[in-house]
Amino acid sequence: MTTIDPTADLAAPAPLISRKQIIILGRLGLALLLLWGWQEGAETFGSVFFAYPMDVVRRLIEIAGNGQLVTDLLATLRVSGIGFVLGCVGGVLLPFLLRRSKRWTDAIEPYVLMSQGIPKYALAPWLILWFGIGDLPKLVIVTTVVFYIPFFNVFAGIRGVDQRLVRMARIIGASETKISREVIWNSLLPFFFTSLKVALPRAVGACIVGEFLVSTEGVGHYIEHARELSDTVGVFAGIVVATALVLLVNALVEYLERRALAWRPVDRDMAL
Amino acid sequence: MINGAPLLEVRNLCKRFPTRQGRAPSPWIIRDLTFSVADREFLTIVGPSGAGKSTLLNMIAQVDVASAGEILFQGDKIGTADPKAMRPGLDRRVGYVTQDDNLLPWRTAIDNVLFPLEVQGRLDDKARAHAQVLIDAVGLTGFERYYPHELSGGMRKRAALIRTLVYDPPVILMDEPFGAVDAQTRAQLQEDLLRLWNLGRKTIIFVTHDIAEAILLGDRALVLTRQPARIAAEHMIPIPRPRSVKSFLTLPGFAELYERIRAEVQ
Repeated sequence: MTTIDPTADLAAPAPLISRKQIIILGRLGLALLLLWGWQEGAETFGSVFFAYPMDVVRRLIEIAGNGQLVTDLLATLRVSGIGFVLGCVGGVLLPFLLRRSKRWTDAIEPYVLMSQGIPKYALAPWLILWFGIGDLPKLVIVTTVVFYIPFFNVFAGIRGVDQRLVRMARIIGASETKISREVIWNSLLPFFFTSLKVALPRAVGACIVGEFLVSTEGVGHYIEHARELSDTVGVFAGIVVATALVLLVNALVEYLERRALAWRPVDRDMAL
Repeated sequence: MINGAPLLEVRNLCKRFPTRQGRAPSPWIIRDLTFSVADREFLTIVGPSGAGKSTLLNMIAQVDVASAGEILFQGDKIGTADPKAMRPGLDRRVGYVTQDDNLLPWRTAIDNVLFPLEVQGRLDDKARAHAQVLIDAVGLTGFERYYPHELSGGMRKRAALIRTLVYDPPVILMDEPFGAVDAQTRAQLQEDLLRLWNLGRKTIIFVTHDIAEAILLGDRALVLTRQPARIAAEHMIPIPRPRSVKSFLTLPGFAELYERIRAEVQ
């Protein structure tokens, strides 16, 4: 994230390297440090517990070449993506519906809170019983894991909307639908994007755990399969792929957020 | 000067907020308030802070309920005791310029001004042209694409003012719309309002605690007492129009009226 330094033009001539460049250098330094730690870890604990970074890189190139990477990535992306979207749609729509009626809110809220307490992964055996070993049990888990995050954020966002803006919109003759779409939705966009960023890694995580349990493909399947073969390099490669997947999708959400919230005076959110 | 049946009437209006359980009964904010506004009249209401002026406008705008009494628009009773039956803005016939500009922060100045037309399904080329005339009239030309946080306080007030003018409601309520700006900007805003009002006379109820502002703008000024608000006095303001912020202080009659109202506001 760049911030404009108001004193930049007035201050002494620009330094040799800019603030931004220092930050990038710092990040590179940290990355090297982490890689070194990884390498050291492998040296210390041995290749049964720790894979060497270069072995992981070679493995990644190998599975990228033989198509395994694409197959598994697509499988994980499909399940976590669909589950993520379903969970988000539900988690956004329900608070909007409840906004219209305090009575329904009071009736439903305790059940939402209660159901949140159910550990979703504990449902897995039962879901497999019901839905078999296809995508469906994983989808249900991803959706239910995701749902609560936008739900509570959007709910809080709706409660926090500046009522003066709502009143103004009513006076000029806006319908409740228009108020929801224009005033409420725009007011809670920051909340919405925050919840997306929290929910995203959880969706991928839930999907991978689901794949540990039942699957024939997917990043989780790849990791679990590697573990069964005591293939530490495979486990590490899978983790790297999963992390890269989360970061990639997160970057997409960041981009969408920056576009949607371009009007905001300062970007106060933490840059990931 | 002003004739015809009143456009808006307030009869024996009373207001108190609901008493919380276990507390002493809440006091009356407004008690037996009666007045009327004629079509195209500029009525100013002066009163001390906390006299219930905003509460009064909220009830007329139908965003708050009266405890007793009635409000009539063109002879029809509009007041209701049931909060669910309220019609905020009375089907777009009552505009409301509040103390806060309440501009939507994610919309540019022009999109804020066009917002009422958009929700009312009246956004066409003619409406856009009209909006541009208003924007030019208040000196916002060139700032159309700016977001509210990029505008000065005075510019935001102007945008809020023309956002209400643009859809042309028959009655406009103004609740100290020029508060919280510096004296210079305030004078400029008053000048803008006078000019806009001369372009197309509207029925305006303008609430303020600034006596000079009440005299400068109004055809008639009502003076409210301290809480519970009642009418302490009523003054016709004979200063001829068009008026100017710069010259009216020296006009005969202004100082005398100012002193009288000041004594009544105490």
